Amino acid sequence: MSDLKNEFDQPLKGNSLGADAWRRLRKNRMAFISFFIVVFYVLVSLFAPILPIYSYTAQDLDHQNLPPSFQTADAVMVNQEIKKIEKKMKRDERTEMTADEKAQIEEFREYVANEKVVVDGKEINPNKKRYLFGTDDLGRDMLARVIYGGQISIAIGFVGTLTAVLIGILVGAVAGYIGGKLDFYLMRLVDILYGMPYIFIVIIILALFGGNIMALFFALSFVSWLTTSRVVRGQVISLKNSLFVEAARSMGASSGRIILQHLLPNSMGIIIVFATLQIPSFIMQESFLSFLGLGISAPFASWGSLISDGVGGMTSYPWRLFFPAMAMTIFLFAMNFLGDGLRDAFDPQSKNEL
Amino acid sequence: MKRYLLKSFLGMILTLFITITLTFFIVRAAPGGPFDRERVLPPAVQANIEAKYHLNDPLIKQYIDYMTDIIFRFDLGDSFTYNDHDVNYYIATSLPHSMLLGFISLTLATVMGVGVGIISALKQNRWPDYTAMSVAVIGISVPLFVIGPLLMYVLALKLKWLPTSGWINGRNGWVTLIMPVITLSFPYFARIARLGRASVLEVLKSDYIRTARAKGLSSAVIVFKHVLKGSLLPVVSYLGPAFAAIMTGSVVVEQIFRVPGMGTYFVKSALNRDYTLLMGAMIVYSIILIVMNFLVDVLYSVLDPRVSYE
Repeated sequence: MSDLKNEFDQPLKGNSLGADAWRRLRKNRMAFISFFIVVFYVLVSLFAPILPIYSYTAQDLDHQNLPPSFQTADAVMVNQEIKKIEKKMKRDERTEMTADEKAQIEEFREYVANEKVVVDGKEINPNKKRYLFGTDDLGRDMLARVIYGGQISIAIGFVGTLTAVLIGILVGAVAGYIGGKLDFYLMRLVDILYGMPYIFIVIIILALFGGNIMALFFALSFVSWLTTSRVVRGQVISLKNSLFVEAARSMGASSGRIILQHLLPNSMGIIIVFATLQIPSFIMQESFLSFLGLGISAPFASWGSLISDGVGGMTSYPWRLFFPAMAMTIFLFAMNFLGDGLRDAFDPQSKNEL
Repeated sequence: MKRYLLKSFLGMILTLFITITLTFFIVRAAPGGPFDRERVLPPAVQANIEAKYHLNDPLIKQYIDYMTDIIFRFDLGDSFTYNDHDVNYYIATSLPHSMLLGFISLTLATVMGVGVGIISALKQNRWPDYTAMSVAVIGISVPLFVIGPLLMYVLALKLKWLPTSGWINGRNGWVTLIMPVITLSFPYFARIARLGRASVLEVLKSDYIRTARAKGLSSAVIVFKHVLKGSLLPVVSYLGPAFAAIMTGSVVVEQIFRVPGMGTYFVKSALNRDYTLLMGAMIVYSIILIVMNFLVDVLYSVLDPRVSYE
């Protein structure tokens, strides 16, 4: 800390770009809340294996399509049974249950409350689980599936963006810094690739080579570096003739050093903003492909594949669509607000564009 | 201008050529063939089928044959799965539906987006602005395969106002357009509205608007004659990517609402390994995309005299 003081004898300190941006971000309430939502999602995804949730693959065919509830599964199952009988009563225009039906319910209640299965040498009752988000058509816990689906969706968003941004930085920085013919040809290549219908190519690749996660990563990052490369190139060109770069060059710094030590750190703000806005679009694309049945395949799940599964049964079991859709939408909301906030924070003069 | 048009036309051809070539080899490089079935055919039968579709020729010969057929006869070949007609027929019957859906959605998204954008900007930080921008944020964050099923659930299953699915050539007629169009245009309406608002705000601050105000022009004239033209530029340059995205989105929307469009054929043929139908659909998509980008470029230069392509 320096000992510079202002006229009121308060210590003065220089603001780094990051600290300055952080201060502005904190003032933007929506962006700041969004930041914590994103952190929360990331933490839940990271610690999913040690969270007290059920397995996302374990099927329990007695627990198919249970609605979300705070009660244990046996109570929910008895309620389902009662509802079934009530429906029948409505059809027969009765208001009272027959003794037979009452006995049937009591017997069922008795049965589910005392059912025992042996797991790892211990006798436990499988009906004592609580399904906060309900279950799907194979009796899997929706909460666990939404969390693990989110893990994959978020991972694809982050890793895909990272890969795409790295390729984009490399191409953009080299083209911008070296310039000349290389720049011309690289940018023509980018122009040509821009005109191609990527998603269709990605669909073809995934349909033909099988939908495993790695193929998905590659296919998505392969086509997403174009805009980053243009942005970075523009930034590098605008900086490469500035005085501090000239100073570095006159001291004998190599091109690589100038790019890595001087040009890229000064473009970091715009790259971070860009990457943040890229993440939701990656997640959207992944879920779009999974929705078509081309992305993630069973037993894994992503938000897209969960939504796709949920759409099939949405009339009778709306929670199977509602929870994954909600989880995904909230995350995308937060990411978009955070991206906008970061842009305003790093570049206060910027217009609020897309 | 002429030179620019010629140059970008050549660029279009090159892009198209690269796309077709790349797709052709990706498709052929994939493991497995279109006639591999669970029940293994006798080798002689398999060989005959492959010979019928020229799959036993060397790859390079197949490629050259395919390209010559397209370039000289506009012939996309025979479908590998559907035997009744050739690929040209399937595309000619399904493309109009996709185009109709796409163009209505794009038009709606643009008109509504620009309108809402202008209103938001003129009423900046008042309730119309807040309402519009909240709706726009929803449009950006909620994927269309969530919006589609939700609309279907509310409008068709609960309220029973609209049929759940189908298309204009079915018995329900034009009302079947409503949900697919809303679903497909909503995300792009949202983006255009945000873009339009930002750019109108920018234009409103400029000197020539101040001059117009100082001259005493009515605010209607200022908005429609001066602001609108200046603020349309970013929107126009977004139309190219927007149309590409709408084409992609229509693949999902067609599946959700059972629209007999090209997207359905595209996904089905990719999963069936129907090489020729897949390639055909891909080529048509590329052409549409490239032509749209070109038109947007031209429109941009017409709107903004400062842009010169010399």
